[in-house]
Amino acid sequence: MTEAISLTVNGRSYELAIPPDTPLLTVLRNDLELNGPKYGCGLGECGACSVLIDGMAARACVLPVSVAVGHEILTLEGLASEGRLDPVQSAFIEAQAAQCGYCLNGMIISVRALLNHTPRPSSAQLRAALEYNLCRCGTHVEILEAASRAVAISTAESPEAPHE
Amino acid sequence: MSDRQPPTSRAEPTELPAPLASPKRFGVAVRPPHYAWNGEHFVSDRLVAVDRTSVAGLPGQVEIVIEGDFVGVVADSLAAAQDAARHLRLEWRAPSGAGQGDATPLPVATGAASRELAAEYAKTASSHRHDYGWPSRLRWGDTPGWVVADCSDQRLMLWGETITPEALIHDLMTLTGLPAERIELYGTTPTRVSGLGRHCGDDAAVDAALMSRQLGCSVAVWLDAAYTRDVHALGQAQCITLSADLAESGDIADYRYHQAHASGDIAAVGLWLCGRPPARRTVAGRTPFFSPYDFNNAQLTTRRDDHGTGRRNEHLAEIQQAFARESFLDEVAHESGQDPLMLRLRHLDDARGVELISSVSQRARWGEALSSATTTSPDRLRGRGFAYSQLPDRHQRIPEGVRSAWIADVEVNRITGDVTLTRLVVGQDAGPEVDTDRLQQTLQARVLGSARPLLGRDPAFDEWGDGSKDDKNVDPTPGGALAIHTAMATKESADAEATTSLLQPLDDVNLAPGVAVIANALFDATGVRFRQPPFTAGRVRQALHDQADSLQEETPGRPTNRPGRRWLKAAALTAVAGTAVMAWPWKGAITPINRPAANLYSAETIERGRLVAAAGDCAACHTVEGGQENAGGRAFETPFGTLYSTNLTPDEGTGIGQWSYAAFERAMRHGISRDGKHLYPAFPYTAFAKISDTDMQALYAYLMAQPAVSAETPANALSFPFNIRPLMAGWNALYHDPSPFEPDPGQSELYNRGAYLAEGLGHCSACHTPRNAMGAERSGQYAFSGAMVDGWEAPPLNRLSRSPIPWSEASLYDYLRHGASSLHGAASGPMAPVVAGLGELPEYDVRALAHYVAVQMDAPAGDSETVQADAAVRIATAQSGPAGMEEGERLFEGACASCHMESGAPSFTSAQISLALNTNLHSQHPDNVIQSILGGVHADHVPGLGNMPGFADSFSDSQVVNLTAYLRARFAPDQAPWRNIESRVTTIRQHNNSPSPTPNATTRRG
Repeated sequence: MTEAISLTVNGRSYELAIPPDTPLLTVLRNDLELNGPKYGCGLGECGACSVLIDGMAARACVLPVSVAVGHEILTLEGLASEGRLDPVQSAFIEAQAAQCGYCLNGMIISVRALLNHTPRPSSAQLRAALEYNLCRCGTHVEILEAASRAVAISTAESPEAPHE
Repeated sequence: MSDRQPPTSRAEPTELPAPLASPKRFGVAVRPPHYAWNGEHFVSDRLVAVDRTSVAGLPGQVEIVIEGDFVGVVADSLAAAQDAARHLRLEWRAPSGAGQGDATPLPVATGAASRELAAEYAKTASSHRHDYGWPSRLRWGDTPGWVVADCSDQRLMLWGETITPEALIHDLMTLTGLPAERIELYGTTPTRVSGLGRHCGDDAAVDAALMSRQLGCSVAVWLDAAYTRDVHALGQAQCITLSADLAESGDIADYRYHQAHASGDIAAVGLWLCGRPPARRTVAGRTPFFSPYDFNNAQLTTRRDDHGTGRRNEHLAEIQQAFARESFLDEVAHESGQDPLMLRLRHLDDARGVELISSVSQRARWGEALSSATTTSPDRLRGRGFAYSQLPDRHQRIPEGVRSAWIADVEVNRITGDVTLTRLVVGQDAGPEVDTDRLQQTLQARVLGSARPLLGRDPAFDEWGDGSKDDKNVDPTPGGALAIHTAMATKESADAEATTSLLQPLDDVNLAPGVAVIANALFDATGVRFRQPPFTAGRVRQALHDQADSLQEETPGRPTNRPGRRWLKAAALTAVAGTAVMAWPWKGAITPINRPAANLYSAETIERGRLVAAAGDCAACHTVEGGQENAGGRAFETPFGTLYSTNLTPDEGTGIGQWSYAAFERAMRHGISRDGKHLYPAFPYTAFAKISDTDMQALYAYLMAQPAVSAETPANALSFPFNIRPLMAGWNALYHDPSPFEPDPGQSELYNRGAYLAEGLGHCSACHTPRNAMGAERSGQYAFSGAMVDGWEAPPLNRLSRSPIPWSEASLYDYLRHGASSLHGAASGPMAPVVAGLGELPEYDVRALAHYVAVQMDAPAGDSETVQADAAVRIATAQSGPAGMEEGERLFEGACASCHMESGAPSFTSAQISLALNTNLHSQHPDNVIQSILGGVHADHVPGLGNMPGFADSFSDSQVVNLTAYLRARFAPDQAPWRNIESRVTTIRQHNNSPSPTPNATTRRG
């Protein structure tokens, strides 16, 4: 049974007629053609599908779209602003952290979510934040390097951020 | 509606008004197993022995008051007294003359008087003859209440509610031997003085006085539905037989009036029981008759021995006589095809009376068809009635007395039986010196007062709203109870109330035609004759339902319902109206109806019904997963076989579209389908029997207003002998108590509302109470002690709760209102739709439910710091897992931890509540954990609750077993490992994989 669903994604509003229990990931990829979030395990285990909801990481494959109504959804596509990449995106490019790259959406979103909450995390905090993002190519070292670089870039860009 | 506060708010004795504000003791009268007024005598079992040891050791300083066959139990609180009354062992002996151990109630109103009367009338064969009855007691009033007596120092003070103060004082004088001036009555609502007869508040008052007198201190008695036993036991107070022959001209030729008793005043039950019956003496002088008509050859007789208090209640006698006479004339007119008003005019030799009737009939437009402008529904029947009386003045001079002509319009809801007095035109000539203004004011007050005791009103526990008292004007009974409007009401009755004292007799307003006029209008509307008040919605509904059934047999397919063509049949059906409650027509099919029109019910009624449906959560069972709401077809695995829920949509072919309200109510309260088949108690009619009438009607209205879905219900697959439906009759006799919900007067209003919701509508016990081998809910200590239902465990809701953190009322509220409690976890499985349904309910109702469950659990109001600290310790302990369970750990870290463990940053999709606090992981049964792993947790209908995916397709059985064992070890380290995980996983997988038929459903808007 379809229902009228209003979604706010990357600052834009969408009116959709879809079954309310459709996974958010399916709606983003199929209806809104936002393919940044990837379909990985479909069970919320790997993190490839991650998006930001109200600034927090969310696994879009296990989230019925109706639950996201009324919240701000941000996908990888919406991270860049005014033609400038998000510092986390820049860091992952600079560190060339990708092998196949399928997990990178989730990695980037998870780091972004951590920085939203903890602007200057320790390396242990970085590792904990990425613990449940799976990478089957084994590029964890490069990914952690990229994450550290992201912390450095965003600290440099906003020096007024509180030091911890 | 009520002038008194609802009873529960005055449950504290300190709130009682002065001078009886603080009763020392609380009493409960224990009646004999059998007692009755048989028309001439009071007959009861005799008290043989009292076992005082049976209440020894009970709390509350219990005392037993014995006087003759009267037994009272007195204690420090009502609850203690009621408890002691339940424990008290008494030995009774059947009265001499009655059979030893005879279990059948004594016959009512079939004494020698009636037999003699019948023999007398057998000799004469009049063409028109009917019996009219009058009950000894009316209902006790609108709501339960206290009655407090203080009998000491040669003085009796009594606080209570009576509408017959003279009779009550007379009884109290007989009891105490005190003169009238030493008896002080206090009470409320002088406008209640109605003259329609005694109600059982008088019986409660005598009970209280009896106990107080013996103990020498004030005693409070709770007047509630228990006293309806007195109503039934005292039966009929008066029986009037009228007969007439008609001349060729249509005039009444022979008119015979015979009343069984000179007065219909029966002393209070306590007085009879304690062995101080009122003096039986023959009433001197002639029994007065109050007929204003001139009939040829009239015979007026009565039996001379007066059984009552030896004192005539002439106001009551006037009303009884007018009721019988005016009803009878109406019947004669209908039976002989005459206008009821014209028939009376032909026999009225009184210019002033003729003038009065003419003027009233003109004003009321008698003779014109009732306008159908205000009603479009075939289920609203309208009718108009007439009644007239003339009473003698104080000196028994009829020509000087007050004439009174009444025309009433009523509207009857055929489905609910509710009667609305829509219009009343009353003309009264009050003799030479009349203050018309005051008359009109008094009339207004008295008309309301006279009509009200005829009706019942549901108690307050079924009110929907936020529970605030100011909310009452939202109309607690939308579409419901009888409302009185009078066309003549132009002034407020405040003055009349102020000037009417409790003891002022009815001297200047002639209320006598008030009852007859309603009976006559009811007949005009429905074709059913009511020959004994009161005309409650239940009696009207039952009568209409019986009438519809008999007519269906007679002329199938002719659903007309007007009098005239069919009065004969209807009259035969209700030949002798008695006070006995009519029995349900067990097992019979109830005639199919056309689906009620969508606009039959008010929006308010349907909205109330929506709330009732939400609280009862019909859709949880009557909707197949992914199917149309309430279209049925969901399979239920029971130990007796597989059952399928039925289609509740108003589809005429496959749903309940052809179910009349009577059929619906029977199914809900008695578990019998419209076609007469017994339903299985997987359908919790055992709980639904507790639903109030008003809620039941609203629920019917709501369901009938929904879109019809055509969906056949699959056939049940039950094993022998459970596939034999009639056996359920025996089951019902053993295990089903269809009595309505009774609020506990010792508990708060919040508690009673919660109990009503939990035990009735919410049918919590259907899942949370274990069932015996016959599928009946076990009672006593087993109530709410948890059970397995449909592959899930419904955890205990009492002290057996195994929640790692003890529940509090606040946590219960969070869980029921928001679907999750931060110290316990989220609703899942079959409880998720329950919480979704509760989301529709007002705040107050959810608070009431939480409060009631908290009391069952003995739970505190809030969560103490100790409890919060304990939760923190448990969460910390579970940060690392047990050693030696590598596979379980791997599965958890891979599949679960991403949401169930903290990663340092907040996540929108992670589980907010630690598994260390999860009740399911601490249970004796692994079922709910296995169910959650396999099927996930889907609570998307509860806003703010996340969803967990199911792993049935990605985990093997052994993986589920390992994971379950690991979860138990890590998150419930204080509990022993589960032993039966493997077999439970296999069973639950099989259960979940059994194909559930998906009905081919189509929606039809209708």
